[in-house]
Amino acid sequence: MPVFATNGLSKHYPSVRALDELTLAIEPGIVGLVGANGAGKSTLIKLLLGLIQPTEGDATVLGFDIRTQGLQLRQYVGYMPEHDCLPPEMNATEFVAHMAQISGLPAAASRERASEALRHAGLFEARYRSIAGYSTGMKQRAKLAQALVHDPKLVFLDEPTNGLDPAGRDDMLDLIRRTGHEMGITIVMATHLLGEIERTCDQLIVIDAGRLLHQGSVADFTAATETLEVEVTGDATLLAARLTAAGIDATVEGQRIFVRPEGGHDEAGMFDLIRDGVVDLGLGLVRVQQRRHTLEDLFRIDSSDAADGTSDA
Amino acid sequence: MTTRPTDETSSIYDLGYRSYEGVRLGRRYAVLALYRESLRAAFGLGRSTAAKIAPAILIGIALFPALIQLILGAILPIGEIELVRHDDYYSGIKFVMALYVGVVAPDIVGRDQRTRSLTLYFTRAITRYDYALGKLAAMTTAMLAITLVPQLLLFVGNALATDQFGDFIRENWDELPPIFGSALLGSWLIAAIGTLIAAQTPQRAFATVGIIVAFILPIPIAAILVEQIDAGWADYAVYLSPLDLVDGLTYWLFGTAPPASDSLIALTDFSTATFAGVAVVVALAASALLVRRYIRVQA
Repeated sequence: MPVFATNGLSKHYPSVRALDELTLAIEPGIVGLVGANGAGKSTLIKLLLGLIQPTEGDATVLGFDIRTQGLQLRQYVGYMPEHDCLPPEMNATEFVAHMAQISGLPAAASRERASEALRHAGLFEARYRSIAGYSTGMKQRAKLAQALVHDPKLVFLDEPTNGLDPAGRDDMLDLIRRTGHEMGITIVMATHLLGEIERTCDQLIVIDAGRLLHQGSVADFTAATETLEVEVTGDATLLAARLTAAGIDATVEGQRIFVRPEGGHDEAGMFDLIRDGVVDLGLGLVRVQQRRHTLEDLFRIDSSDAADGTSDA
Repeated sequence: MTTRPTDETSSIYDLGYRSYEGVRLGRRYAVLALYRESLRAAFGLGRSTAAKIAPAILIGIALFPALIQLILGAILPIGEIELVRHDDYYSGIKFVMALYVGVVAPDIVGRDQRTRSLTLYFTRAITRYDYALGKLAAMTTAMLAITLVPQLLLFVGNALATDQFGDFIRENWDELPPIFGSALLGSWLIAAIGTLIAAQTPQRAFATVGIIVAFILPIPIAAILVEQIDAGWADYAVYLSPLDLVDGLTYWLFGTAPPASDSLIALTDFSTATFAGVAVVVALAASALLVRRYIRVQA
């Protein structure tokens, strides 16, 4: 059963279509939600939390209807906002325990869970210190702890690495990975940093201008393609010309040649041609490897498509 | 005591993450938790010492007349003494009430906007209505510390001043309904207006000033209009002042007349029952606007 599924989900405001006809189904795992600022990420999260009503379409989250069962579903969902949201004068344990109670947990269980969540987030030693004295990294951890304290089945993280230095970012991504994989909590992580998605997520939702551009597994997307990437020293165009002459589709990008097998060339024959070409032309061969898609490719292609689509319309 | 270094048999146990299988008590419990925590915040409990000082001082001042009566009654059993009376207790602590709500309301409602933790509440098991009403209930309860508590102290003080404590209680128990009624209705009115103003801004200082102005400024305005302008319509200005409404409804509930010498209410010919009526209408309107504010506020 999908953790959440939407069907033609739309949210229109008087001046803007924040979300348009979104249909998707998400399986348990760590999901990257990508889109530029204003693409509709926050609107989608608010809809899935049952905080705003959709204009059209419907959605279920953990089996609850977002239109009518917002309160019930929010007992099982956690949310970590992008902005600062911690009261500086409280200590982390008190605040996180209070948040557990607002999610409906009894007082004693809330205190226990607050310690558990803060320990998981790596704040166990500092849990009785006032939040005012926390660093940015510690605040992010406390925000994560409050999102996990009521043991949700699904957590939305909005730009969880915002404001962190590289080491802090690595720690946070590692923490998110562990939360998703070891605790079995489905995580939806909104970000505009594609590198983070490649490192952390196993599914991907890409939205742009309120529309779904892509949904699927990150592994499928970054899987090896048929194209070979050949990097040489010296003049790469010479080798490309030679391959083209042999009936192979080869394009040059700086020192790299992208070679697509076509027609009667099997893989072994193509490797031979490349090797012979390099030797004959006196070039240095740096590497030959199967090319992988990166998420940047997806964004490049799809954004230009989307731009075309809107200009057509 | 020192810990002896242990040998290679020691190890660190990773407890792993434990999931929660217990009960989830849902909305009603969550609202109660919000109410409780807001009430603690009102008195600065669980906060720094500085946060406790202002409410504590103001409560002290509000209780002072009742405490004097209680102490005098306890040590000098000289029959009934009436330094202060139930029905004009609130008119004596008007400014304290305005300052108190000005200090406390921004702690109860403005803080979550200031720290932007409002988002965290609205993404949990409560609705925006629940949040607004939970906060209003907390502020109303916090008001009881300077309304109901001194009235009850006064009652006990009066009882102690007589020789027969038990007899006094038996004979005067009928003062309890107006004590509770005026404290509850007055507290609700002041709390609703105070939280409504505090909810408009995350800035604590603005909220405090706004609240104090809203309670204090109408007092001289109403006084000038009622006393100086000799026209029937000007008398209605007395209803503009929330603290005069509290006075009026208190006289009505105790069934007494306001002192003719120094009461604005006595200058108008309005029945004290109308003050209770206007107080209910204003309190309802302010509560509704508070809810509306939280339904619309960005979070």
